[in-house]
Amino acid sequence: MSRSPALSVKNLRKSIGKKEIIKGLSFELYPGEVFGFLGPNGAGKTTTIRMLVGLIKPTSGSVHIGGKNVQTEFGEAMKDLGCIVENPELYPYLTGWENLEHFARMDSSIPESRLKEVVDLVDMGNRIHDRVSTYSLGMRQRLGIAQALLGHPKLLILDEPTNGLDPAGIREMREFIRFLAEKEKLCVMVSSHLLSEIQLMCDRVAIISKGSIIRIDTVEALLSEQERVVWNAEPLDQAKHLLGKVTKVSEMEGKLITLYDEDQIGNWNRLLVNAGIEVKEMRTKLPALEDLFLELTGGEHID
Amino acid sequence: MTKLVHNELLKLFRKKRLFVIILIVAALVPLFTYAQYQQAKTTQEKLGNADWRTKLQQEIVDTQNRLSSSRLQDDWRKYLKIRLAQQQYYLDHDINPQAPGAPTFMRVFVENSITLLLPLLVMVAAADLVSSEASGGTIKLLLTRPVKRWKILLSKYIALLLSVSFIVTAVAFLSYTISGVVFGYGGWDMPLLTGFSTKGEELLTDNVHLIPQWQYVLMEFGLVWFVCLVVGTLTFMLSVLLRSTAAVMGIMLAALIAGAILSNMVSSWESAKYLFMVNLALTDYISGMATPIEGMTLGFSLSVLLAWAAGGLIIAFAVFTKRDVY
Amino acid sequence: MKKKGLSLITALSILSAFLWLAGLAWVIQDQFFSAGSQSMDTVKPDRDQTPSIPSDGKSKKLHIAALGDSLTRGTGDPDGKGYIGYLKQELAKKTKKEIELSNSAIKGQTSKQLLDQVSQQQIKRQIKGADIILLTIGGNDLFRGGQGLQQLNSQAINQTEEAYLNNLKELYNEIRSLNKTGTIYHVGLYNPFSDMEDSKKTSSIVRKWNYDSANAAAAFPNIIYVPTFDLFELHVNEYLFSDHFHPNKEGYQLIGERTASLIHFSEEEKK
Repeated sequence: MSRSPALSVKNLRKSIGKKEIIKGLSFELYPGEVFGFLGPNGAGKTTTIRMLVGLIKPTSGSVHIGGKNVQTEFGEAMKDLGCIVENPELYPYLTGWENLEHFARMDSSIPESRLKEVVDLVDMGNRIHDRVSTYSLGMRQRLGIAQALLGHPKLLILDEPTNGLDPAGIREMREFIRFLAEKEKLCVMVSSHLLSEIQLMCDRVAIISKGSIIRIDTVEALLSEQERVVWNAEPLDQAKHLLGKVTKVSEMEGKLITLYDEDQIGNWNRLLVNAGIEVKEMRTKLPALEDLFLELTGGEHID
Repeated sequence: MTKLVHNELLKLFRKKRLFVIILIVAALVPLFTYAQYQQAKTTQEKLGNADWRTKLQQEIVDTQNRLSSSRLQDDWRKYLKIRLAQQQYYLDHDINPQAPGAPTFMRVFVENSITLLLPLLVMVAAADLVSSEASGGTIKLLLTRPVKRWKILLSKYIALLLSVSFIVTAVAFLSYTISGVVFGYGGWDMPLLTGFSTKGEELLTDNVHLIPQWQYVLMEFGLVWFVCLVVGTLTFMLSVLLRSTAAVMGIMLAALIAGAILSNMVSSWESAKYLFMVNLALTDYISGMATPIEGMTLGFSLSVLLAWAAGGLIIAFAVFTKRDVY
Repeated sequence: MKKKGLSLITALSILSAFLWLAGLAWVIQDQFFSAGSQSMDTVKPDRDQTPSIPSDGKSKKLHIAALGDSLTRGTGDPDGKGYIGYLKQELAKKTKKEIELSNSAIKGQTSKQLLDQVSQQQIKRQIKGADIILLTIGGNDLFRGGQGLQQLNSQAINQTEEAYLNNLKELYNEIRSLNKTGTIYHVGLYNPFSDMEDSKKTSSIVRKWNYDSANAAAAFPNIIYVPTFDLFELHVNEYLFSDHFHPNKEGYQLIGERTASLIHFSEEEKK
């Protein structure tokens, strides 16, 4: 990653009144990657995103998009940004095409041919001249992405892009985002409160809780680290004793849970089998977001 | 900038706001036309069958007789002479000052709608200019473009100025064409008196002079336009401050109606003259009607309105460019 | 189509903005900087048309046009009726016709000024439509508002009378050309100074004036010169207003009754 970052955030803070709701975020995003921004509702995701796109002024810290400061070089920075903040809210009384025209007029560097390009890109050619008020949520979401792509942005910020979509829509969206990052070399930042979603489309992820980033890492690293193995063994006490000798074991609902360690898992199993313990079930379990949070924050007792 | 203004006009246009306003005016004008027609008829009946020319001639003779009195103050004498010239003109040109033509209707119509009806129409157009973007969420898309916020607001304001101008023109056009069907389209040259001013209890007439009706109408519409701009600007400010279009309309409506009520009862509360809504009846200064509060002049009212509009505009821009958008 | 509509409205809006701005600028110029300049020049009569006479049943109405000076106006009568008012009362007793009176007299008017007034469109119209024309004129020529008589030598008075008579003939001519049939009652002069020391001299002047006027009237058809000299000759103070010049109520009543007695109605017009 020697290329210049598409987005660079340094020590970003926001206070409302005396309460500090964003407590010094710093991270960098690079072209061609899909970056997940993960956190439960109320963690400060939306506030952070609004600061990134210039809707909210940070109390301190800086945001650079494509190397330009959002605060001091607003116009230049915005040229490299496309975004949907929360829902893709467009003008319902205009047609999709008119909406695109409307936003294209706000940036003189957008040629008229670009409109057709983005419409083809999001594949909504046949409905583009209908009024937006007749669109389904999925259509609006696509139109929202089309308008975000108008100005050939280097950075695309999508806030909860799969919210409200049906499973087929979610899948389509996911593939589309991957396509943008891989083929168009965009840097896409996706916020979500669903780990499964992030896991399927992101390269890296930041986890935010109560206004702070608790972890930034690649998805694989994060998940494998947090992956668990569930053991259903008979007799349970003996199995717990044995496993306790080699790793950390906890008991939950009559089953044992250990960390997942690819290198050791075979050995542990052999240990149990050799001791004459019957292993009825042994499976890996992806942690739910709540578990991850409990894991990441609960132990450290932030606040 | 023209592209941004184009955007705003497109949105205004496609929201059908202007269309609705024009419909309202087109529906109201025939109503007022009928009312004025009835009024003219009643006046005619009161006069009996007597020819209006005879009556006017009598008025002229009366005026001439008053002029021959030696105990007349100079300014009053001058005023009488001007009135005489006006009456003589009516007679010479066979204009019945009691029988309205379409230009007269236009004049009466704007004089009566400058304080409430037209400001209300403008308010309808201006109320959701910014607040609808906020409540509809589209402001997030609007403000994440490579355009500075003040430019976006300015484009909206220019769109407002243009649509206010359009509304005033539509009112002029509709009131002329519709009323003309009943009253006829003539009467642009009819001379009218203007230039009255008040000082204390007195009506000062030293600046009184005659102007043809077309100039009079043009001047009145100029004033109406100004009033509409001021009301539009204040509505615009509220639209920036509030997310809810209904709240904007409610506040503006309350202010305008309060102004109409206050104008009738504030004569002893002198500082009320600094409220914008008491100063809306600018056309009264042209026609020489009494002001609601002593000491109000055309210059004063124009300044007060201008100050309110400037204040509103400063607040609107300051808030819009600084505000955090949630 | 949609796009054209929008551009049209935009263009129209821009134009109207400038138009109304001009209107506003004109207000400011007109109301603050015109400083009472007489812009009446701009509204000078630009066409000269004679308004048509309303053809409302001439047979049912009696149109009276009154012209002249303060006597016709009724100065001195506390009720403001003047001899015209009493004349109208008298006539109303005699006829069933509705009387429509237009009084265009102006206080202090001289024969010259009356001649100017008669050239006005509307006065012409009234004369044209009148059945009866009442007239008082000459008092202001002769008395110059009530004090001039003593100072004038006979030569100056002769000059004044000559000018007056010329005006009068022209006036008769004008009225007759406008209205061929209506009877003109020219109410004559009295001498308000007949109880003063040089009453002989003033009375003779007024008598001559009346005599010459009557002669002028006789040259035209249907002009009756109504004498009032005799009415005021005795007891002048009882019939004069406190200004010792205009008649009072009783004086006007006398003139009104005398003039009314001269007006005749046909059988079907009578009550």
